[in-house]
Amino acid sequence: MKERIGIFLCECGPNIAEKIDLDKVKEALEHLPNVVIVARHKLFCSLQGKEFLKESIKENNLTRFVIAACSPKQHELTFMIVAEDAGMNPHLFQMANIREQCAWIIEDKDEATKKAILYIKAAYKRVIYHESLDKKEIVANPDVLVIGGGIAGIEASLALAGPDRKVYLIEKTESLGGKIKEFDEVFISFKNGQSIIDERLERIEKEDNIETRLQAEVIDVKGFLGNFIVIVKTGDSEEKIQVGAIIVAIGFELINLSQLKGYGSLDCDDIYTGLEFEKMKKEGKITTKSGSVPKSVGIIHCIGRNEVGYCSGVCCLSSIKFSKYIQDKLPGTNIFEFYRDLTLPDKAYQKFYENIENKGVNFIQADDIKIANEKGLKIKYNKNKSTQPVDMIILSPAYVPAKDSNSLAEMLRIPRDDSGFFTEEHPKLAPVNTSAEGIFIIGCAQGPKSIKDSISQAHAAAGKILASIIPGKKLEPEVRISYINEAFCIGCQKCLNTCNYGAIYFDNLKFISIVNEVLCHGCGNCIASCNSSAIQLKHFKDIQMHQEIIEILR
Amino acid sequence: MENNILVIGAGITGIEASILLANAGKHVYLVEKSPIIGGNIIKFEHVFPNFECATCLVSPRQQEVLQNSNIELLLLSEVKKVTGKPGAFSVKIKKQARYVDMENCIGCGACYDVCPVKIPNEYEENLMQRFAIYVPYSGSLPNVPAIDTENCIRFAGEECNACQESCMFEAINYDEKDEELDLKVDAIIVSTGFQQHKPVAKYGWGTIDDVYNAFEFERIFASNGPTTGEIKKKDGSEPKSIAIIHCVGRDENKYCSAVCCINSLKFIHYLKEKIEDIKITNFYRDLCLPGKKYDKFAGDMKSLGTDFIRSDDIEISSGDKSILVNYMNGDAKKQLPADMVILSSSIEPQKDNNDLAKVLGIELDSFGFFQESDPDFGTETSTRDGIYIAGCAQAPKDIQNCVTQAQSAVEKALFQFNLK
Repeated sequence: MKERIGIFLCECGPNIAEKIDLDKVKEALEHLPNVVIVARHKLFCSLQGKEFLKESIKENNLTRFVIAACSPKQHELTFMIVAEDAGMNPHLFQMANIREQCAWIIEDKDEATKKAILYIKAAYKRVIYHESLDKKEIVANPDVLVIGGGIAGIEASLALAGPDRKVYLIEKTESLGGKIKEFDEVFISFKNGQSIIDERLERIEKEDNIETRLQAEVIDVKGFLGNFIVIVKTGDSEEKIQVGAIIVAIGFELINLSQLKGYGSLDCDDIYTGLEFEKMKKEGKITTKSGSVPKSVGIIHCIGRNEVGYCSGVCCLSSIKFSKYIQDKLPGTNIFEFYRDLTLPDKAYQKFYENIENKGVNFIQADDIKIANEKGLKIKYNKNKSTQPVDMIILSPAYVPAKDSNSLAEMLRIPRDDSGFFTEEHPKLAPVNTSAEGIFIIGCAQGPKSIKDSISQAHAAAGKILASIIPGKKLEPEVRISYINEAFCIGCQKCLNTCNYGAIYFDNLKFISIVNEVLCHGCGNCIASCNSSAIQLKHFKDIQMHQEIIEILR
Repeated sequence: MENNILVIGAGITGIEASILLANAGKHVYLVEKSPIIGGNIIKFEHVFPNFECATCLVSPRQQEVLQNSNIELLLLSEVKKVTGKPGAFSVKIKKQARYVDMENCIGCGACYDVCPVKIPNEYEENLMQRFAIYVPYSGSLPNVPAIDTENCIRFAGEECNACQESCMFEAINYDEKDEELDLKVDAIIVSTGFQQHKPVAKYGWGTIDDVYNAFEFERIFASNGPTTGEIKKKDGSEPKSIAIIHCVGRDENKYCSAVCCINSLKFIHYLKEKIEDIKITNFYRDLCLPGKKYDKFAGDMKSLGTDFIRSDDIEISSGDKSILVNYMNGDAKKQLPADMVILSSSIEPQKDNNDLAKVLGIELDSFGFFQESDPDFGTETSTRDGIYIAGCAQAPKDIQNCVTQAQSAVEKALFQFNLK
């Protein structure tokens, strides 16, 4: 079939018409091979403009067209829709930006006109090599795998499970509930941790669509958004679970105290970590090892902050909560809170702190803390110039990533930060997504945070899944993606490492790389890495780009 | 059946919620009281910790809102009345006339040049002027001006149709009328954001030259702002020293806004980028840097060069040659001269939260933020079924947590319809 190409010149009101001699432009284009129409309009993005464009495409039986107007960022989508309405594949047109790149930046009308002609000719050359790209639809499994049965994993599971969506909740210990069930009270609602979990366990019990696997672990993950295949090992048995999305909610651990240096003696009697102290409170027995009631307690914040290189964001609050525990249970006890920088990042926290402080807790700012055991426990600070003897010490150690983070990250092919926590897709705009589509990170697996923020993230991940993997609805992946020419691929595998989305895998049998069409975002990284030019990006193929560039440089 | 959801406020939180709901196939009414979308984030030149250009970050999302056929954007609009119950709310919206046709206007700006009215631009923190027909910032989206009838002389009775005559697209229509719209919606998400605290008298804000609050400084640094990014004193000279005061408004508001320390540290980068040898002093109480990234960020910023002084009692006065920061350090009264002062003002509830709470039938907390149903387990549910809260409307927080809450509120709204 003979090509019939249209070129459309937008005046953009006075924006283009006054700065570029469009008659001259028209003249320069009319005689190009296969060009059957060159037409101008006051404003192609207006209703009348779009209608005119649509009718011109139809009347002239155009096979491709170029529109010279503004930035494609502004109106490429507008004209794609017009092309579709006119019955043409939306990828068979090209925009030439003669407004931002010509009219708006060049004072001299002749110069601007010349450049505009060059740009439009380049777009014309390019569009000749455009190919139809058809939308694809893939069936997506709505079921979800949640790894980690702490409060974040539980909340996400409850939010997602329903008649059309099954949730598999995988927990490596013998019970659900994670760390929170160890907490006698959680800030800032002061509810009992165990009853929070019990209430949710009851709901899980009643929910037919949550399948819990205890003492289980994920040992293999294959597949991609909408179609993951996961092998879960429970005891000696292995099962294959198919899901459309995966949520990682494996929580945190406290930094191992034996790793810490510079605090003096941390392994003496009557020194407890926050979690150990929670247990004492829960059992209702706050006593020293010798069985006596402590008359004075030192609570030390920021344990291990220097080592991990971040503030865990919650230890100040839980430390202050420990003061409350002591005030509640053992009124009259002298309490000393040693802090570096009080971190109280929410509307409710300052009041809580002030209440506790007003009841007689001593807050001491100190950057250098040393613990000595010389005839009883002593906290030294202020360059050893000040000393506070106490009967008991509670440490608030930093939150660190859960032990399995590394192996899980490798299995799921998701990156981790310098800190070891899983990396979100974007620190502002996509906090619970990962670079692997369909895999989400929530709670302290993503970074140290409060229960309130963990819960929000759990629901956020659930929200993203509910909105994107809808039962009965197919996914429509991006069509401008990479593809690999099998004949040219030499199997060097360089592209595998450049892909941020885990979209390229290696076929050992054929000894070539293969692009997963669902996962590829069309970023183009792999193309630059390919020595043999085996990889091409649809709609940005070498020939398309070269033709455009050659014409511009002419 | 198609569900309709009302999102109030088109800042980053409302935008995120709307896009997500639209992608889930819901019909969204996004109501915004200003003439544009983007909220406070578009005031920023860069956002911490990666110094990404804020407008570049948001503009794809803004475009998505403008182009998504499931989102019906109602600008210059306010919610006036809500009755009914979850799944069947009736909502009355008052939509002010824009007087400029959104379809026909291409944002060429020809109308600005001819407008005889010049008034301070409140969106630019009154640091520059705008016309009566205006867009808040250059680069605003949608890039369509609105006529501010309170300041337009035509609406005050004078003969003027300069803007209409200048418009080549017949986009300006003085006869456009305010509208009242009646909507039926199933659920409502409140994402009305925050306002910046106005520093009290002792900080010299508004009375001493070269004392700026954080948003003012953000606009001064902004490449599309009043000075196109040049940091200059009022007398035109370059400041040689600057004091950044953290926690401004904390005593009055009685909470920590959670983001000001990190944002203040960001300013070190801003300043050193423009004026290499500027002397910077940060006055802080406690450096609040919660999260896996911010100690490193703070370290990077500190390495650019700044002094830190811990003090919770600060007063700004004007000296002979410079501004004076009077502060208590331990029990000693001290003084530091500075050519410029930035006040890191706290995040405050919007002043019209009370009115909106009454309209919606939901409660405010003691600070004036919208009250959540549970401080740990239900921060995105309001005190009324079917109405959800997200972002700084609920409590001060950073962008990441705003986006998280938006996504969470969407989950809760979808959950309500059992669309699991």
